[in-house]
Amino acid sequence: MDTMMEEYLKINSIRKTYGDKVAVDDLSLTVPAGSIYGIIGPNGAGKTTTIRMIMDIIAPDSGEVLIEGKKPDSDFKNIVGYLPEERGLHKKMTLEEVIVFFAELKGARRSQILSDIDPWLKRMSLAEYRNRKVEELSKGMQQKLQFVTTMIHKPKLIILDELFSGLDPINIELIKNILLEEKRRGTTILFSTHVMEQAEKLCDFICLINKGQKVLDGRMAEIKTRFGTDTIQVEMEGDGAFAADIPGVESFTEFNNYIELKLGDNADTQMILKKLSEKVKISRFEIVEPSLYNIFIDVARVDPTELNAGEVTNE
Amino acid sequence: MNKLWVIIKREYAQVVKKKSFVVGIVLLPVFMIVLTVVPSLLARKKPATSQQLAIVDLDGRKMGEKFAGKLERYKLDDSSLTYIVTDIYEIDPNDTTEYKAVRSRLDSALQSNKIKSYVVLFDDIVKNDSCIVVAKSFSFRTADRFNWAITRVLTEERLLESNINMEVDSVLNLTHRTVFTQMAPGEKQRNFEVMYLGGLFFVLIIFGTVIGYGQILMRAVIEEKNSRIIEVMVSSVSPFQLMAGKIIGLGLASLTQVGIWVVIGLGIYQFRGNLSISADISDVLFNPILIFFFVVYLVLGYLLYSTIFALIGSIVNSEKESQGFIFPITMTVMLPIILSMYIIQEPNSLIATVLSLIPFMTPTMMVIRLNIMSPTNFTFADPIVLQSVIGVILTVLTILGVIWFTGRIFRVGILMYGKRPTLPEIIRWIKY
Repeated sequence: MDTMMEEYLKINSIRKTYGDKVAVDDLSLTVPAGSIYGIIGPNGAGKTTTIRMIMDIIAPDSGEVLIEGKKPDSDFKNIVGYLPEERGLHKKMTLEEVIVFFAELKGARRSQILSDIDPWLKRMSLAEYRNRKVEELSKGMQQKLQFVTTMIHKPKLIILDELFSGLDPINIELIKNILLEEKRRGTTILFSTHVMEQAEKLCDFICLINKGQKVLDGRMAEIKTRFGTDTIQVEMEGDGAFAADIPGVESFTEFNNYIELKLGDNADTQMILKKLSEKVKISRFEIVEPSLYNIFIDVARVDPTELNAGEVTNE
Repeated sequence: MNKLWVIIKREYAQVVKKKSFVVGIVLLPVFMIVLTVVPSLLARKKPATSQQLAIVDLDGRKMGEKFAGKLERYKLDDSSLTYIVTDIYEIDPNDTTEYKAVRSRLDSALQSNKIKSYVVLFDDIVKNDSCIVVAKSFSFRTADRFNWAITRVLTEERLLESNINMEVDSVLNLTHRTVFTQMAPGEKQRNFEVMYLGGLFFVLIIFGTVIGYGQILMRAVIEEKNSRIIEVMVSSVSPFQLMAGKIIGLGLASLTQVGIWVVIGLGIYQFRGNLSISADISDVLFNPILIFFFVVYLVLGYLLYSTIFALIGSIVNSEKESQGFIFPITMTVMLPIILSMYIIQEPNSLIATVLSLIPFMTPTMMVIRLNIMSPTNFTFADPIVLQSVIGVILTVLTILGVIWFTGRIFRVGILMYGKRPTLPEIIRWIKY
């Protein structure tokens, strides 16, 4: 963990059980101020439960959540922008009414919000709908409006649960850009996702969790380095399945148009290249940082089928 | 506190802005006016003019004249006769030609509205009671009076024929029907029908508010739960604030509705003029102790049941699932209406007293009892006042308990989607 950065949010050994089921087990993590932090894991790993405990929507059985070193006080909810995984808006209200209502619930002043609405709606291409009812919007537009209600009161901490669900690629780009802007302004951003490719591109820090337990956490770049240069990506013509049997190859993962090989200690990359080129025509051979997906499989020792790694982001 | 206000404001606006709210405000008074004022106006209008009638007497013993004489006791406000007998035709029962001619003349008089009705008293009516009345329309009141008059004539006639050695009038005075004048303690004349209806009136307002607004609340919770708004909301406010905001917001909307009715009612009372609202109704509606407890119990009943409706809304996933819960609630609130006849006869019986002290029934039960006992002094020496105060305390304690329980369940239930939970599951939520 980077000690240069000031910690903003800290979770100490929280645990939550539902009957016999342990949803979150002794989880600790630290979110540095002004960073983008990703809680990453498969469905049912305990991400939503963790976030709900941070938001004080449910109480942990044990452990604590600290904001800037203190227990969250009654003002905490006002400085957070929270987008839950399960989300919705009052369909019979107009966009303006909805935005003002949620902002007022955050303690914002009505007059301030009324002047902030237009820039936000313009950015989201919703400006012309300001006085229309929510039910007139398409599903994707409602998602964008929901994002506006999360951001309108200028939160210092943004918490987004399964941020990308329900968004098309264009809007994912739009929202990513907004989040990067917010980060530059010093806002701390915490989000959860099961889509690792997305997290990989956005996060400064990550925490991988599985079955309610932390698998790994830290700065993204450090983790990548730690898992080092023992991964090779190969693009080729023909079936590369035989590569799993080449000496020095520890694991083999087949992607859509390439394969990824994880090597053991002292593996000879030149020898592997030679063996491969004997049987197939190679168009790319690259020593790379391992993907988050492979790191997760490696560390959590989970069956890849549980991960839905290739899942399309539009659910 | 500020956030609570934001929620109260939204919930209030959502209900008050709806068309159904305005319709509800207008409909109830219209309904009540139709039920009370219109019939009394109609009933008043008819006897305001006198009615012409003719009498055909085939008996030959001046029965027609005697009948006409009995009708003379009915007078209009200006003390003119209600029933004016235009003609009495005394016809020999064997002269059918004459009889038929008179009948057809009278029928055409009826058609041209020269007379309102005519009666035919047949031969030997004293023995066989045979008489008819012919009219295009006939009010119950007039029918009743005609029946009374002919009964009286014939009774007198029979008594005379039986040679009782006594003046007929004295005999009739011995046999006349006796009616109780209804009194209440304090030498005040009181009409028990009005008290009964007054009691029902208060109970129906409580019932309508509790069930009506309770269900609006429940539907709002189910809708917010289904549309996943709830989780966004509880990230800004506590579930308890959310629940309280909804209950108070809708409560204020219901009070607005009742308030508008009160204003309309006072307006009508102010300009009652010739509506002549009976003193009995004024006594019921303007007994300060009764009104005080009515308002207290209306608010308490709403708080108690709307909290329960919020609880149900947080547990179920659809309105359909809620039906099973609603039925027992409706029955509990309605019980006093079902038992009202019994309570009115025995307002101080053990059953009535015990039922009215069970907090879930206190609001409606106690109001209906208070209405009958109609206390005039706020003193604990009066058992009904003492019991009402105990009822308030017990209900408040129950409400606090229900709010605590609902608060525990609500915060978990609103985040549980999918299958309807079982009772043991719900009990477990208390600990989450």
